[in-house]
Amino acid sequence: MTPHIITPDKRNMAVHLALAGLLLLVCIAALSIGTVRISPQDTLRALTGSADPMSNFVVRELRLARVVAGLLSGAALALAGCLMQTLARNRLATPGIIGIDNAATAFAVASVVGVGVSVAPPLMALAGAATATAIAFGLAGVQGTRGYRFIVSGIGIGAIAGAVTQVMLSRVAIDAANAAYPWTVGSLNARAEQSVLLLGAGLAIAYLILLNIRRPLNTLQLPDATAISLGTRIKTTRFLGLALSVLLTGLAVAVCGPVGLIALLAPELARSLCRPGRIPLTASALLGAIFMLTADLLGRTLFAPLEVPVGIITAILGSPYLLWILLRPSPRSLT
Amino acid sequence: MSHTDTATLAAERITLAHQKYIVAENLDLRLPTGRVTAIVGPNGCGKSTLLNGLARIHVPKRGAVLLDGKDIHRLPSREVARKLALLPQDNSAPEGLTVADLVRFGRQPHQGWMKPWSEEDQRTCDRAIQAANMSDLSGRALETLSGGQRQRAWIAMAVAQRTPLLLLDEPTSALDLGHQIEVFELIRELSRQGKTIAMVVHDLASACRYADHMVAMKQGCIIGQGAPHELVTPALVRELYGVSCDLIHDPATGSPVLVNVRRQH
Repeated sequence: MTPHIITPDKRNMAVHLALAGLLLLVCIAALSIGTVRISPQDTLRALTGSADPMSNFVVRELRLARVVAGLLSGAALALAGCLMQTLARNRLATPGIIGIDNAATAFAVASVVGVGVSVAPPLMALAGAATATAIAFGLAGVQGTRGYRFIVSGIGIGAIAGAVTQVMLSRVAIDAANAAYPWTVGSLNARAEQSVLLLGAGLAIAYLILLNIRRPLNTLQLPDATAISLGTRIKTTRFLGLALSVLLTGLAVAVCGPVGLIALLAPELARSLCRPGRIPLTASALLGAIFMLTADLLGRTLFAPLEVPVGIITAILGSPYLLWILLRPSPRSLT
Repeated sequence: MSHTDTATLAAERITLAHQKYIVAENLDLRLPTGRVTAIVGPNGCGKSTLLNGLARIHVPKRGAVLLDGKDIHRLPSREVARKLALLPQDNSAPEGLTVADLVRFGRQPHQGWMKPWSEEDQRTCDRAIQAANMSDLSGRALETLSGGQRQRAWIAMAVAQRTPLLLLDEPTSALDLGHQIEVFELIRELSRQGKTIAMVVHDLASACRYADHMVAMKQGCIIGQGAPHELVTPALVRELYGVSCDLIHDPATGSPVLVNVRRQH
C-alpha cells in the first residue's frame, strides 16, 4: 500500500479553504476592532445594516471601504509578486524590489503635488509601473526577465524613482507634501474611491486571464525547451504575465502606495503551503490580502490613537522573515 | 489516439544559428518512421542544435523543418506538441516536484479550458510511469532520485505526451553503464511500439547498438547518414574524432565495436 492518505490535490484544496476562512476572520476582525470596539456578531449584523445605528455607521461608513481597499491591494500586490518571481525565476524579483512600486509612486506623487500634470493617480501609477518595467526590460538584454540584469536595472530604476519622489516632495508647499506623504510609505489612509473601484475591476480581469493561462504559466517553471515542446508559446505567456504584473502593481500602488514585502512574502509562503509544480496564484492572493489587513489592523491599534502606516508595519514584521528566507539553507522551488 | 499514429519529420536545407554565429548549415534530414535515429559527432559539431531545430526550439535562419510536410513554425504550437515531444538536456525542475507531478505536465497539450483533467489523462500518465518502470517511485520528489531514475521520470513525461515523434538530447549523459542500458532499452521498447525516435548520443558504440539509422555530423555539416553497420568505418571515425581505430563486430548483436582506439599520428 502506498502511504499517501492525503493526495496533493486534496491538500491544495484544504490549504485554499483554510486561507479563505482565515481571510474571512481577519476581515471581521478588521471591521470590529478600532477606536470603537464592536462585537463580531454586531459587525456581521452591521454589514447588512441591521445592528444599532452607531455600529452600522462605524462598520459600513468608516471601516468597510478601508477593509475592501486593503483586501484588494494586498491580493493584487501578492499576485503581481508571484507572477514576477515566476517569470524571472528568482524569488527576489518582485515589483517592489525591481523598482516598479517606486516608479508608480513617483508618477502618482507627481500628479498629487501637481508637477504640471493632472491625470488621475491610478493612471499615473500605471504609467509609472509600465515605464519602469519597460526600462528594466530594455536594459536587461537578451536574457529578458530571466537574468540578473533585469533585477539590477530594476533596483537602479527604483532608487532613481524614490529619489525623484523625495525631490518633488521637498520642493512643494508643506500642505501638498503632507497630502502626498502617505503615498511614500504605503498607507490605506489616502485611498480614493475611484482608485479602489479601478483596482477591483483590474484585479478581477487579471485573475480571470490568469486562470485561463495557468497551465502555460506552470510550464514556465520547467526549462524553456520543455515548455516549448509542451506547446507553450513562451514569449506570449511571458509578455502577458509581465503585463498583468505591471497592471496589478500600478493599480494597487494607486490605492495603498508602495507597501513593501507583501509581494515577496505572500507568494513565498504560498509556495511552501501548496503542492509544488503549480504556481500558487490563488493562495498568494489570499495570503496577500491576509497580510495587508493584519498589518493595517496592527498599525491602527498598536499605538492607538497614533496610526502607524501599513507600509511601515510590513517592513518591520516582514524584514526578519525575508532574512530568514534568504539565510535558510535549502530554498524551495526558486533559486 | 493509438500507437499506430505516425507523423513524419524532416529538415529541408536548414541553417541554424546561435544569434550571429552559424552553427549548422544546409542540413537535409528525414527521420525514418518508426525507427531510432542516432545523431553522432564530436563536441560542438552542432548535433544538439540540429535536434533542437527539429524540435522547433530554434528557428532556422534558412530552410524549413517539416512536420507532416508542413512548416513546423507555422503550425499551432499545441498541435505540434501533440505530435512531437522533446527531452532536453537541461532537466531542472522546481524543488519538491514528484515524478507523478512531472508526468502530468505531459498531458498539457491535450488539455484545454473546456477539457479539464480526465480519466484518460490519468490512465495515460499511469501507463507512462509504468512503461518507464517508475511505478514504485511515482510519489517521490525528483531531487531525491538517482540520475537514472530522474532521467526515466523525464522520459515518462515525454511518453505521457503520447506523440508519434520523440526527440532526446543526450538521454544517457552522466549516467553509469547500468542506467545507460536501462534508458536505451526503454527507448528501443518505445520504438517497438511504433514511435519515431531521434536522439543525440555521445557514445558511438551505444549509437551503433541501439539505433537503426545514424546521422554523422562534423563542424555543422552532415557528413554521412545510413545504417550503423554500413556507415561506421575506421575512416569515418578518423574524420569525426581524429583518432585511428579498428572495427570488429559484436558477436552477440553484430553491431560494430571500436577497438584499439589511438591518437592519430
